[in-house]
Amino acid sequence: MKRILVVFLALGAVALSAVALAATTVTLNVVQIFGTIDPAKVTDYTGYMSAVNLYDGLVTVDKNGAIQPLLASSWEASSDATTYTFHLRPNATFHDGTPVTASDVVYSVKRLLAIDQGPSYLFKGVLGPDSVTAPDPHTVVFHLQKVFSPFLATVPLIFVVNSKVVQANEKAGDWGQAYVADHDVGSGPYMLENWTRGSRMQLKRFDNYVMGWGKGPIDNLRFVVTNDEATVRSLAASGELTMTSEFQANETYAALAKMDRFRVVSQPTGTAFYLKLNTRVAPTDDVHIRRAIACATDYGTILKSIYPGDPLAGPLPSVFKNDYLDTLKNPTFDLACAKDEVGKSAYAGKGAIPLTFSYVAGTSFEEEIGLLMKSNLEKVGFKVTLDPEPWNRITEIASKASTTPNVTEVFFGATYASPDSMFFTQYDSKAAGTWSSMEWLNDPAVDKMIADARATTDPAKQAEIYKQLQQKLVDLQPDVFLLVQNVRHAMDKCLTGYNYVPVQSFDYNFHNYSWTCSN
Amino acid sequence: MEYFFFIVRRLLWSVLVLIGLSVVIFLIARVVPGDPARIALGPLATAEQVTNLRHKMGLDRPLYVQYGRYVSGLVRGDFGQSLLTQRSVASDLRSAFPATLELVLVTIVLAMALGIPTGVLAARFKDSWVDNVSRVLSLFGVVTPSFFIALLLQLLVGYFLHVLPVNGRLSPGASFTPDITGLVLIDALLRGQPAVWLDGLRHLILPAVSLAAASLGQIARITRSSMIDVSRKDYVEAARAFGIPDIVTTFKYMLKPSFIPTLTILGLEFASLLGNAFLVEMVFGWPGMAAYGVRAILHKDFNAIMGVVMVTGAFFVLVNLLIDVLLGTFDPRIRIRGARS
Repeated sequence: MKRILVVFLALGAVALSAVALAATTVTLNVVQIFGTIDPAKVTDYTGYMSAVNLYDGLVTVDKNGAIQPLLASSWEASSDATTYTFHLRPNATFHDGTPVTASDVVYSVKRLLAIDQGPSYLFKGVLGPDSVTAPDPHTVVFHLQKVFSPFLATVPLIFVVNSKVVQANEKAGDWGQAYVADHDVGSGPYMLENWTRGSRMQLKRFDNYVMGWGKGPIDNLRFVVTNDEATVRSLAASGELTMTSEFQANETYAALAKMDRFRVVSQPTGTAFYLKLNTRVAPTDDVHIRRAIACATDYGTILKSIYPGDPLAGPLPSVFKNDYLDTLKNPTFDLACAKDEVGKSAYAGKGAIPLTFSYVAGTSFEEEIGLLMKSNLEKVGFKVTLDPEPWNRITEIASKASTTPNVTEVFFGATYASPDSMFFTQYDSKAAGTWSSMEWLNDPAVDKMIADARATTDPAKQAEIYKQLQQKLVDLQPDVFLLVQNVRHAMDKCLTGYNYVPVQSFDYNFHNYSWTCSN
Repeated sequence: MEYFFFIVRRLLWSVLVLIGLSVVIFLIARVVPGDPARIALGPLATAEQVTNLRHKMGLDRPLYVQYGRYVSGLVRGDFGQSLLTQRSVASDLRSAFPATLELVLVTIVLAMALGIPTGVLAARFKDSWVDNVSRVLSLFGVVTPSFFIALLLQLLVGYFLHVLPVNGRLSPGASFTPDITGLVLIDALLRGQPAVWLDGLRHLILPAVSLAAASLGQIARITRSSMIDVSRKDYVEAARAFGIPDIVTTFKYMLKPSFIPTLTILGLEFASLLGNAFLVEMVFGWPGMAAYGVRAILHKDFNAIMGVVMVTGAFFVLVNLLIDVLLGTFDPRIRIRGARS
């Protein structure tokens, strides 16, 4: 009997060790630290990377920007689009095993609005503290204060927290901020295992995840914080790294591509790179001057030699397929056209036209673009002053039209899966005063089109408005539409599932990834 | 008793230095470009949200009121809230400071363990090949920026040889948390985990070597020149004339007095390394206070900036005070002079 027991124990140990060996671990480097893991306070790309793995929303977004069910299995909107009803899955649980109920959703929305940070700005004037109700444990109703057609696209940014745990850890009415800053209170595909601030974060797979697991799931997830190229290469060479960040140098991608283990994956994104032209100050207050700058831009050289990407024909990247105006033509480099436009402007014949051109100091490709623009613009009658500024300084000078430079190099990507995110934030006069709206467009016709699209519930009509808006913006030329950014990762050949998602860093939800090799 | 008053006087001066430092860094942190409320809330926050947060943080109050509030928090050990990590700066420093302290301690031990014998050998074999090799290596260490050495070691040891880890304090997957002293090497020993201790040591080697190179060079050169000076003293000649073995003369009669300038340098090095370790910390993904400070500056996280500077300043002052006490122990003349001054 003893012998049989020993054999069973030995077999059990072997089986356990085999399971331990079979666990797949993905290590990804990130270039910024995780500031906070509180889903009501995350604002940046890295923060959302942890949020999408630790927390779930009612719905999520797929690679086409379409809304997909998550904690809610279905939903419907009222005919006037002011009431949205979500039906929760009955089997969803938080990481501690507590069921996810409608009251958790209500609490999470109230908490988000009360803390008034993170994505709460999206719901200003749309949701109030009492706008969300729970008629039963599996039904949540959002009563909007006004028609806001992109509402559904913003719902993925409302992450649901375990209200019982958070409430138990509230201190002096802080909505559990101190607790949630360090603890995972979500129902997402991964659980927080270990977090050394400023260095690394380790997550492990949540076995009882409501969406289940397919073949080859990633068991352990490790984020290593480093923006040092030598470190990334060393980690890759030693076998510690599975996937790089998207912000590595060309040389690093090339070096990793030479290693047998890695392949480089490149995909177009919803992030566009613009030269933002201040329409409120001379000489860029003249549309002909703005068009002259656009004509004097050497798109080919920039795309091929300075910052590889895809051409951008207008204000909206083509990733928004349904709303994209595909009749727009890619802009071309034409100095004769630039001279012609300068001649039509109010500044013609008055000597060299002064122009201030700003970019983020220390960013070599932005400096190269600045130098190229200076060279070309000075051929057609401009006197360009290059003003490299630290990013913090750019955010400050962007707060007033009078301090905003004539031209500023800026990347901008959608924060929720709707063209509204691109148009309202950059061109609506109500959004002026931030780095994303350095055009200071303040055009009543543009404002009206954005408002009309927001108030329209018919997708076809909305798409029509967005297409007209794109043409209008191309005509007004508040920006030079430089390029669409491509995202690049070097990743282990065994790792599959990466697809760019046009919202924050939702493409790093590792529930969608799988390991195709046997360990 | 006079010496006790000397120490008290130094302590009072230290407090004044820290008050001056707090005023200077408070003003500097306020003039760094960028609106901290806007940065904390993210680029797309509404103007109303920014105004509300500015009010909540007291940024709409006059500077002297803000300073008063800051100082009253400071005396209670409250450095305020970090805008970047969204938690108290004191909590951040509690986790980041031990990492830097451990790195700096190992660096100093390494620099002393190699620098002092190198200096002694160079002095003993003055102008020989031993001295020349030591001179070249010391100069290399002093003139080469530590981050450059860090990158070289990364590529050589991490990329090509794969013999030592190049990132973090412990291997990925290690679930050990240094929650007793915050120092991995000490806590692993206290918890009886030799594997963790070894892992921690392996992770320390490259960053510590990178940081130690400059200090090592300085210590070696200063020890050498002090030893040469002391070797010409009458009492050393007398010791030699009495036939005392060379090794005893060197280590017993020459090294102790020669150690005073080295000790002074060590004090300065120790404190300045706390702030200067940031590039090495960034290269090796070391979750320390220096890297935390750099990120705080980049994000205009002014409470964190002031917290890092105040802690570094306090440490600087404390270490120099300790060095003064130690110098008095090594050389009674300093003690007597200090007491009379």
